[in-house]
Amino acid sequence: MIEVSGLTKSYGDTLALSDVSFTVKKGEVVGFLGQNGAGKSTTMRIIAGSLGASAGTAKVDGVDVAENPAKVQRILGYAPETPPLYGNMTVGDYVRFAATIKGVTDIDAATKMALGRVGLESVAHRIIDNLSKGYRQRVGLAQALVHDPKVLVLDEPTSGLDPAQRIEIKNLIQSLSEGDDRTVMLSTHVLAEIEAICNRVIIIHKGKIVAQSDLATLSGGADKKVHLELRRPEGAMEAMRRVAGVTSVEHDGVKLVVTGERDVREAVAAAAIPFGLLSMQGQSLEDTYIQLTTRGTA
Amino acid sequence: MIGALSIARRETSALFNTPVGWVALTAFTFIGGFFFSYLIYAYFNVYQQSVGNPQEADQLSVNEFVIQNLFSNLGLIALFILPAVTMRLIAEDRRQKSIELLLTSPIGSFQIALGKFLGGMGFAMVMAGSTVPYMWFLYAFGDPDSGIVVANYVGFTLLCGTIIALGTFCSAMTENQIVAFMMTFAGGLLLWISGWFTQYMDDSALKTFVTSCSMLNHADSMGKGLLHSQDVIYFLTFIGFFLFATSQRVEALRWR
Repeated sequence: MIEVSGLTKSYGDTLALSDVSFTVKKGEVVGFLGQNGAGKSTTMRIIAGSLGASAGTAKVDGVDVAENPAKVQRILGYAPETPPLYGNMTVGDYVRFAATIKGVTDIDAATKMALGRVGLESVAHRIIDNLSKGYRQRVGLAQALVHDPKVLVLDEPTSGLDPAQRIEIKNLIQSLSEGDDRTVMLSTHVLAEIEAICNRVIIIHKGKIVAQSDLATLSGGADKKVHLELRRPEGAMEAMRRVAGVTSVEHDGVKLVVTGERDVREAVAAAAIPFGLLSMQGQSLEDTYIQLTTRGTA
Repeated sequence: MIGALSIARRETSALFNTPVGWVALTAFTFIGGFFFSYLIYAYFNVYQQSVGNPQEADQLSVNEFVIQNLFSNLGLIALFILPAVTMRLIAEDRRQKSIELLLTSPIGSFQIALGKFLGGMGFAMVMAGSTVPYMWFLYAFGDPDSGIVVANYVGFTLLCGTIIALGTFCSAMTENQIVAFMMTFAGGLLLWISGWFTQYMDDSALKTFVTSCSMLNHADSMGKGLLHSQDVIYFLTFIGFFLFATSQRVEALRWR
C-alpha cells in the first residue's frame, strides 16, 4: 500500500534522509521508530505530499505522490505531530472545513462519523483553543479520518499526552486499524505503544533504515537473551549455567541476563522458580532499538 | 474550486471571529464616514455660495464633488487597512502549522492561493457594503449619476483586489505577519504614488511605463465613470500576476 524507494532528502547541506526504502502492505499497522531528528517526520511528510523529496519515490496504492498528489491525498489521511488546527474555530466547523477541502461529498455524515470515531461529539461546539492537549490531538486525528482514507499516516499521535490520554489514543488507533482493513503507519518513540499496536516495525536512525521486520522477530532477537528478576539470587547464576543450551549468565546489577544458543526460556523459567522468580523478560524491542540506534551508524 | 471557495469562506469568517476584522472594519467605516460627512458639508457650502450664480451652480456636480472624491479617499484608506487584513492570510497558517492541512488535502497550490485571496476579497466586499448607506443618502437627497456610482464601485473592488493579491503574496513570503504587512503596505503605496514622478519626467518609454503602472491614474479614470478596458486590464493583470506568484510560492513551501 505504501512503497518507498530510494527516498533521499537534504535540507541545504544536511542530509535528512538517505536512500530510505520500505513497503507497508495493505491492512498492516506499522510502527515507525527512531530518535528525534532521525527522519521520521520528513519521511511521513513526503508520503503525505506536503514535502518534496530530493530523490527517490513514494507511492501510495501504486500512485506516485510527487506525480499525482491529489489522487494520493484523497485516500490518505495524515496527522502531523503538531495538529494543523485553526484555534479560533469550533471543533465541528473545523472538521467540516477539513471534509470540504478533502472533497467529501456527504459532509454532514463524514463530520459526524469522524467526530464519533475520535469521541469528540460532546465538544463539537467548543472552540479548539480552549481544549486540552489530548482533545486537540484528537481533533487532529478527526481531520485525518474525515474522508475515510484507506491509508493513515500518523506522526507521533501521542506526543505530549498524559498516560491516560495516551491509552485513549492508543485504543483509538487500534480501533481504526481493526475491522476496516485500514493501513496505518505511525511514528513514535514510545516503544510500549509500538509493541501494543503494531505488527511490524521499521527503525530509522540518522536518515537510514536500520531494521524492518515483524515485531516478534525483532524483539525475539538473534541472541536469545532472557532477563530474570529473582527474590533470592544467591546461587542462581550457577544453577542457570547448568541449564542445557545456556551459553552465558551475567548479572547486570538488578537482573540476571541469561543468554542461550537457542530459545531457552522454558528451561530457564523452570530452573529459576526455586530462586523466587519475580519476573522474566525476553529480549525486548527496547534492547534491539538501543542496540541499533547506539552503535553509531553514520 | 470547492476547495478555494471553502478556504475563502473560512478566511472571511475567521477575520470576524477575531478582533482584526472588526477593528479594521470600524476604522474603515469611521474614517470613511468622516470623509463622507466632510464632503457633504463642503458640497453644501459651495452650493450655497453658488446660489445666484447659475453658471457656477451648473458646474457643481455631486458626482464629481462627492462620489469621486469619496472613493478616491476610500481607496487610500483601503491601502492602509487591507495590508493588516491580508498579512495573516498565509503567514498565520505557516506559523501555527495549519498549512499542513491545506498542503495534504487534494487541492492544488493554486486553489490555496485563490482561496486565500477570495477570503480577503470577502472582507473587502463587507467594506464596500459598509458604504452603501452613503449612496442611499445621495440618492435620497440628490441625483447622482448611476453610471459613475457603478464605475466607482467596480474601481474600488479592483483596487482592493490588487492590494489583496499583493498582500496574499507577501503573506506567503514570510511567517512574520509584521513583515508581510510592511511589504504589502510599501508595495501598495509605491504603486499608488509612482504616478507623481511622471510630471517631472521627459516623454519617454519609461514615462509611459511608470504612468501606466500607477494605480492612482487608473483609479482616477474609473472614478470619472469611465470604464476603460485598459484600466480594468491593468488591475486584473496585477491580480492575476500576484495570484500566480502566490501559488508558485505555496508550491515552493512543499520543497523547503
